[in-house]
Amino acid sequence: MTIANDFCVQLRGIHKYFFRGSERLDILNGLNLEAPEGEFLALMGPSGSGKTTLLNLIAGLDKPSEGEVWVRDQCISAMSESQLARWRTRNIGFVFQFYHLLPVLTAYENVELPLLLLPLSAAQRRQQVETALELVGLQDRMDHRPGQLSGGQQQRVGIARALVTDPALILADEPTGDLDARSAEEILDLMAELQRSLQKTIILVTHDPRAAARADRILHLDKGRLVDSLPVEPTPVRRSPRGSTRE
Amino acid sequence: MKLFLLVLKNIRRNLLRSVLTGLGTMVLVVVVIMVWSILWFLDEQTKEKTSNIKAIVTERWQMPSRMPLSYAPELRAGAARKPEHVRPLDSMTWQFYVGSTEPNRFGRETALFIVGTQPEKVLTMFDDLDTLPPDSPDRQRLEKAIQAMKTNRQALLIGRERMEAINKRVGERLKVYGMSLRGVDLEFEIVGVFPEGRWNNLAVMDWEYYNAAIDAYKRRPGVRPHPMTERSLSIVWLKTPDTRSFTAVASQIAASPSFTNPQVKTETLASGTAAFLEAFRDLIWGMRYFLMPAAVVTLCLVIANAISLSVRERRKEFAVLKVLGFRPAHILGLVLGEAILLGVVSGLLSAAGVFVLINVVFGGLKFPIGFFGTFYIPVRAIWWGLGVGAATALIGSLAPAWIACRVRVAEIFARVG
Repeated sequence: MTIANDFCVQLRGIHKYFFRGSERLDILNGLNLEAPEGEFLALMGPSGSGKTTLLNLIAGLDKPSEGEVWVRDQCISAMSESQLARWRTRNIGFVFQFYHLLPVLTAYENVELPLLLLPLSAAQRRQQVETALELVGLQDRMDHRPGQLSGGQQQRVGIARALVTDPALILADEPTGDLDARSAEEILDLMAELQRSLQKTIILVTHDPRAAARADRILHLDKGRLVDSLPVEPTPVRRSPRGSTRE
Repeated sequence: MKLFLLVLKNIRRNLLRSVLTGLGTMVLVVVVIMVWSILWFLDEQTKEKTSNIKAIVTERWQMPSRMPLSYAPELRAGAARKPEHVRPLDSMTWQFYVGSTEPNRFGRETALFIVGTQPEKVLTMFDDLDTLPPDSPDRQRLEKAIQAMKTNRQALLIGRERMEAINKRVGERLKVYGMSLRGVDLEFEIVGVFPEGRWNNLAVMDWEYYNAAIDAYKRRPGVRPHPMTERSLSIVWLKTPDTRSFTAVASQIAASPSFTNPQVKTETLASGTAAFLEAFRDLIWGMRYFLMPAAVVTLCLVIANAISLSVRERRKEFAVLKVLGFRPAHILGLVLGEAILLGVVSGLLSAAGVFVLINVVFGGLKFPIGFFGTFYIPVRAIWWGLGVGAATALIGSLAPAWIACRVRVAEIFARVG
């Protein structure tokens, strides 16, 4: 099933609940969300509000108990695990709080990982990896292992890994949560720059208001509901936010 | 190939654990290969052939077999009395003589088990020696020794291990004091050694020399008849071209009126060996159905334990791979690949190592079962090592690999958020 629209991400009537024994725990309650192509969206909320769960649903890492998740023209909540894995390779870039780089691989090899799943020649892979590392300013650290890089540099590698397959949507889960203030600023600058220059849709989960302030729009989650939407003053080169939220 | 490099790097991740798992695998593969080599050899020995069959004729009701020497000519002819009767292709007789190089001491350094036979039959009837290539150095050395036996009735052909045990060398003379036949002492000159192998502990003398000694003993004044002098023939070996000829010869011997007191029986070497190995039935059963499975199961558990630890430590990493687009099959393949690669390399190294160590360095695996004192690791054991390593790694890593590929990303990254 496909639909034609301008939204990169659409969530319709999303419920997510778990059972602990006979008790039902509602994580997300009838949530609707639309994020247009190219938007930089920040998701904020207190601990336990369901931010990470929401991000996992958008990435196809988890399935909603009820409702549909659409990314571009595909209903990913109806896909099998294998279909989702294939889909993620090309359509999603994920940036983790704790980088999650493979310690046995160099920066180059970490960035190359998602490309191993695509039908590309070694030369094509090399070109894409070098471009991604150049974008994050780490072309001179290609042969370093994660243990030889600072936290900020590791996160840059994580961002390069998220970008290397040229996905339409980048999901970042507290990408500055493990960094000092200076490194965090650099990472946020980098993400904002990438969003501006590459027109990627970015959904950022954060606790940090300064990080959220870089976004086009901020959504607050509380007890599984989106409680408000705070438009942010757009920077001159950014598009105006077109998304809307409904509770 | 792309993922194979990732497998290699993952094996190097915790080098100490990989090395220890590999060593554990190697030790158990060594046990499996050694036990398997013995069982395989015994199976080969008891496997019935369809051509070039060796038959053994022994006394029917008594072990060890003792038959009158007068049986020898007719038995060697397969008891063929009529023109239409089938005759064996070849034959030889064995007369056992046990002695010691010291008159009042019988031990490892002095004992000799000597077979009296027709010297020329060593090259045509002895197992393994009858298949030596004509131009091989072993065959040429053996031919030279047999030539010496034809001109020197006191010549002795001996296994290297026995010769070293009694501290003698080729060319030296020795006196052997009869233990199986007290009073019949023999003097020999060592003229050659058997090639390395199953005859390492045997010695062979000219049967005519032995029988002359028995005759001389009987002629001594005041000597009472001894069962070993009257019935000195232990085994008659016959070679027949095929099963049909063997059956015919066996029937001829059974129907002959010459072999009634004592009666004789004819059986193939394979069935004779199997009957002989009956005495070791429990030992062989234990090796086949207890030791082998125990080693294989232990090997599976060692690998399962190591891979489980590795999978448990890397659950988050597998979740990350899934986020990046790796499918469950990829992750299954990665974990199985690591285990199998480790198993194959360890198994191969271990098999090659044990092959060289046992066959070249130690000169065989000393595990005396009847005539089979030394076992060798066959070349095919290298493939066994590879197969055992791969198969046990596969079995041992199936469950951990399945757990790894079923990792639920949302659960792994479930944080308060």
